[in-house]
Amino acid sequence: MDVSRRDFIKASAAAAAFAAVGGKSLNPLKPGAAEAAEGGVTWGKAPCRFCGTGCGVLVGVRDGKVVAIKGDPQAPVNKGLNCVKGYFLSKVLNGKDRLTTPLIRKDGKLTPASWDEAMTLIASKFKESIAKYGPDSVAIYGSGQWTIFEGYAASKLFKGGIGTNNIEVNARLCMASAVTGFMTTFASDEPMGCYDDLDLGDTYFLWGANMAECHPILFSRLLTNRLNNPEVKIIDFATRRTRTSLMADRYIKFKPQTDLALLNAIAYVIIRDGLHDEAFIKEHVVFKKGKENIGYGLEDKFKFADEPKGITFEEYRDSLKAYTPEKVAALSGVPAETIVEMAHLYADKKRKVTTLWTMGFNQHTRGTWVNNLAYNVHLLTGKICRPGENPMSLTGQPSACGTTREVGTFTHRLPADMVVANPEHREKTAKIWGIDPKKIPAKPTYNATEMFRALDRGDIKVIWSQVTNPFQSLPNLNRYRKGARKGEGRFVIVSDMYPTRSTEQADVVLPSASWVEKEGMFGNAERRTHQWFKMVDAPGEAKDDLWQTMELARRLGHGSLFPYQHPQREIWEEYRKFGEGQGKDLAPYDAYVESRGLRWPVVNGQETRYRYVEGYDPYVKAGEGVKFYKNKPDHYRAVIWARPYEPAPEQPDQHYPFWLCTGRVLEHWHTGTMTGRVPELKRAYPEAVCEMHPDDAKKLGIKQGDQVRVSSRRGSIQLAADLNGRGKAEHGNVFVAFFDENKLINELCLDAYCPISGEPDYKKCAVKVEKAR
Amino acid sequence: MPISGVVLTCAPGLSDSVVGELASFDGVEVHGVLPDGQIVAVVEADSVDAEVSLVTRMHEIAGVATVRLAYHNFEDLEQ
Repeated sequence: MDVSRRDFIKASAAAAAFAAVGGKSLNPLKPGAAEAAEGGVTWGKAPCRFCGTGCGVLVGVRDGKVVAIKGDPQAPVNKGLNCVKGYFLSKVLNGKDRLTTPLIRKDGKLTPASWDEAMTLIASKFKESIAKYGPDSVAIYGSGQWTIFEGYAASKLFKGGIGTNNIEVNARLCMASAVTGFMTTFASDEPMGCYDDLDLGDTYFLWGANMAECHPILFSRLLTNRLNNPEVKIIDFATRRTRTSLMADRYIKFKPQTDLALLNAIAYVIIRDGLHDEAFIKEHVVFKKGKENIGYGLEDKFKFADEPKGITFEEYRDSLKAYTPEKVAALSGVPAETIVEMAHLYADKKRKVTTLWTMGFNQHTRGTWVNNLAYNVHLLTGKICRPGENPMSLTGQPSACGTTREVGTFTHRLPADMVVANPEHREKTAKIWGIDPKKIPAKPTYNATEMFRALDRGDIKVIWSQVTNPFQSLPNLNRYRKGARKGEGRFVIVSDMYPTRSTEQADVVLPSASWVEKEGMFGNAERRTHQWFKMVDAPGEAKDDLWQTMELARRLGHGSLFPYQHPQREIWEEYRKFGEGQGKDLAPYDAYVESRGLRWPVVNGQETRYRYVEGYDPYVKAGEGVKFYKNKPDHYRAVIWARPYEPAPEQPDQHYPFWLCTGRVLEHWHTGTMTGRVPELKRAYPEAVCEMHPDDAKKLGIKQGDQVRVSSRRGSIQLAADLNGRGKAEHGNVFVAFFDENKLINELCLDAYCPISGEPDYKKCAVKVEKAR
Repeated sequence: MPISGVVLTCAPGLSDSVVGELASFDGVEVHGVLPDGQIVAVVEADSVDAEVSLVTRMHEIAGVATVRLAYHNFEDLEQ
């Protein structure tokens, strides 16, 4: 690169940074120079490939290669700035071991094959299994990294073509509890608020969310809000001290699982001290209770159905008497006066309160309940549906919302919040798909954990995994890794960009195109749907998952389900029929081509920032104020649920005295299959470590960096102890990140799940720690 | 050589000390500090790996809350 071009680029880099934060560059480029700095680079827009935030990026392409990335200044989510993962966006496409050809296992070894050979084999396995054992013997397992088209095509093929509800996604491991929380409280999935709440509120309660590392751009918006407004308070309720705690105004540590009791205690104080909003409650809320002692899903084929019963406000109030601040202080470790103080902060009429949470709530054996309890506090205080005052679950994957939740790629769901159990929903779906309604089975089959239990038992014979890494990410991993390799007719297909701990389990591996190597749409956590075009070719023979699924459909005789000339555009226009007039309206394809994403419902070309509220939501008429219009059976009211504290299924004891919590770190995303390809990231955070409290370590004779063995009743791994790292474990707790493919911490996790959502709890099981010999 | 433009957000009152620390980073030029304390810097290194290494080190400076990326050019790298 010559000197002048380098100067141009440096000036461009500084100018972009200044522009993004509203400052002026000291050394702006003159118009002609700006053009020269472009140097033949063409720019296209796309959402970021990584998390569920949905940041906009501009992708610079020259000679068929990605050569530059900019934060998209027009993107409302991130306003021109990306987090550090922006550095890897192109690198993750170009790792040296990228899969470029199909592979078939022959004599135990994965061997290159043609697409025709691979697809012929896959189709024959599907046909054979369906003929011998029926359609429920085959399955597809996808993810919140599927584009909307890919998820839609998979659902249509399996539910509408093959005739099985054996479709699940890793989102079941991630935000299924958020879905059931929203559905049980509001009868409609996804938040009423949006990211604007991060700029417009003044009081933020974070629960089990390390936003600074896992949602850095959203956390930056909170910090910017606080820089401009000294009244802003950030309260971090957590079981582990993180970089988020460091930046928060208050860090409130609590014992694992006691979030259930704490939220009930907060509600107790709000009512006891008369801080609730009686008028709002009278007009917009009903009270219910459900079953208690609901189990943990530990046994195969576990089934649960709640039995909701209406209760009065007084009955609800009385149910909270078990949660006085004093009682809950003893249980949770949070001082009673802090509980009272926090309840008053939540209810302060002068304050705009937003609650944010991630996996701490959702990966929880009472995940649905704890989501309900967070809504309870907002509904009691009437702080909901207004700018800056909303509860919101943040997501971890770029299209966990857009694809898995909205398209409904779960065993029990159909698009637009519909479910297979409802005959009218099957009828509507069949009509749009042009099939006989009888084709879609009325009964859901397996949630994600149960799906891999079924593979282990041999009830599922053929399973296809796309864009995810189940044989690293499932809990109680040993059982499911062994189960997949039991033989006896089991056949595992894995589509991915790179070799992973899942491709090593596969009989066939298919090389996939990723991100801007294909045309796509993702939907983020604030109901915003993004579109992008293909910008570069995938390497070798890699093909996108949409093509792969449609190719299987064709070979199974279901090609008529996919009669498209331009599949992406036509799938979109077909798909959006589901949400029309249902409060889930989506715009025509071109509106997304033009925009930096639109938040649904999109009615008459206008997106919706706030749902259920007059003046913002087109479904709420003038004079109606707030209307939870999706909950018709409860006369358009939201539900406050009486949900008790119940203990975790496995708690520390004398044999396994520590709580184990798993999670993410800034440098690596999920199972590390993409970020692990970036050498510097590997060096910055090369392998998982065991964070523990220095006092606990001292008792065990463990020093910083010592090798320790962490064991549960299910597995055991060795790793280095970290006593003073970026994250700091509290007494009696240890934390291990799950990205490291050589340290499969999920082998230790318990496969207990929330009976309502089916989401496993990766945050709590009992382990022991010993100094390794 | 890859070049990037970044924005650092700092804890209140700590921008000046962060700028001081950044002065010792080879390959990092501070282009300005905004009135709200955010810092604009340009990072230049031999490889993306080295660039990310610098950004990782920035994250570790006391008082740095976030480092965000506005622009990244790596056009002359072999991919």
